[in-house]
Amino acid sequence: MEKILNKEIKGIIEKHPEVGKILDEYGIGCSPCSVGSCLMKDIVGIHNLDPQQEATLMYRIEKAIYPDRNVPKPKVDLTKKAAPKKISYSPPVKKLVDEHVLIKRLLALIPSIVSYIEKSAKVDKDLVLRCVDFIRNYADKYHHMKEEDILFKYVDENAEIIQIMYKDHDTGRNHIRQVVEGAESGNKAQIKEHIFGYRDLLTQHIKKEDEILYPWIDRQLSDTQVGEMFRKCNEADASVGDALPRKYENFIKELEGKFQKEVVK
Amino acid sequence: MSGCPGSRTMDFSEKEGKSESETGKRQSQLRQWPIQFHLVSPLAPYFQQKDVLLVADCVPFALADFHKDYLKGKSIAIACPKLDSDQEVYIEKVKALIDDSKINTLTVMIMQVPCCFGLVQVAKEGAEKATRKIPIKQVVVGIEGGVLSEEWI
Ligand code: SF4
Ligand SMILES: [Fe+2]
Ligand SMILES: [Fe+2]
Repeated sequence: MEKILNKEIKGIIEKHPEVGKILDEYGIGCSPCSVGSCLMKDIVGIHNLDPQQEATLMYRIEKAIYPDRNVPKPKVDLTKKAAPKKISYSPPVKKLVDEHVLIKRLLALIPSIVSYIEKSAKVDKDLVLRCVDFIRNYADKYHHMKEEDILFKYVDENAEIIQIMYKDHDTGRNHIRQVVEGAESGNKAQIKEHIFGYRDLLTQHIKKEDEILYPWIDRQLSDTQVGEMFRKCNEADASVGDALPRKYENFIKELEGKFQKEVVK
Repeated sequence: MSGCPGSRTMDFSEKEGKSESETGKRQSQLRQWPIQFHLVSPLAPYFQQKDVLLVADCVPFALADFHKDYLKGKSIAIACPKLDSDQEVYIEKVKALIDDSKINTLTVMIMQVPCCFGLVQVAKEGAEKATRKIPIKQVVVGIEGGVLSEEWI
């Protein structure tokens, strides 16, 4: 078992896909994650399972990897107190989690937007560009910049998980460039491919941040750092003013109104 | 078994110490005086831009590692939300700590008994009156000395 705990998850799942399925059952979605260098023990630790669940999970994983081995039934370590299930974020990190909500509202609208574009005779360039404006100025400038310039600076930036986050942000920017190109040239297929690419990427990216990265960073922060980061994020927000988030929230509301109506029709 | 649960008599003298090391001497982590919330000035130099603890009187007696795990590196004010008088003054002092001394964070440490939560209320009201915003943490300590919860509020 010790050996399994010290292995990288990607290798384990590649060799034993059923381990991915077992993890899924526990709400630990490692299979789609592109990082893969997390160690099994960190994954189990990061998800704060209660001792009984953790023991059963480890038992099932060991059984899956070594079906022939006589694995002892789980022993529960009751000295380890059950960790709270709910993730509790520090205030500056909570603000970033809240910003994800508005971004996710746009992601949820993308299928409707795409089918609307496909159905219309001519690409509604203005609509596409307004979505791009939201993505570039709210999701990217307002939100990702706080991650890159403030949050990530509090941990080892060379950690693979941080490098993957940077890469995700970049891949997202590339998708959006392609969407703009598609809108300029009226190429529906190009818009569709890349806006969906962006949606899939960001959906996974936000899930990774909310469930893995942010709690991991939070655990490393001292109270002093939490206070300092809170101040820096507030200063960053103040430098753009609260008109910006308000404007983009209104934009999302407007889109939701428009596309909910379209869907009902 | 009747009356206020916060003052119910309980005896856990039978409780055994779990193989803790009692050797060696520890240093006090207190770096200021005074500490009682009515006696401290919220503008004292030791509060400026600091991480501040607002601690219920009973907490440090219950929590064996209070100095090492909580007081270290921080400034402190203590109060009892049940017995102290003039608690509006406390609310104003919390406000002054946040706005004037520009403290970095505030950690409110209370006992698990219901009446001790009044101290969290004091902190919240002071924070609401303040124009600056800062992170506030709540730590609840059990009467047998464990930390029951610790979260940002
Ligand atoms: S209210 Fe809190 S500080 Fe006051 S006596 Fe009760 S437990 Fe102690
Ligand atoms: Fe991100
Ligand atoms: Fe994010």
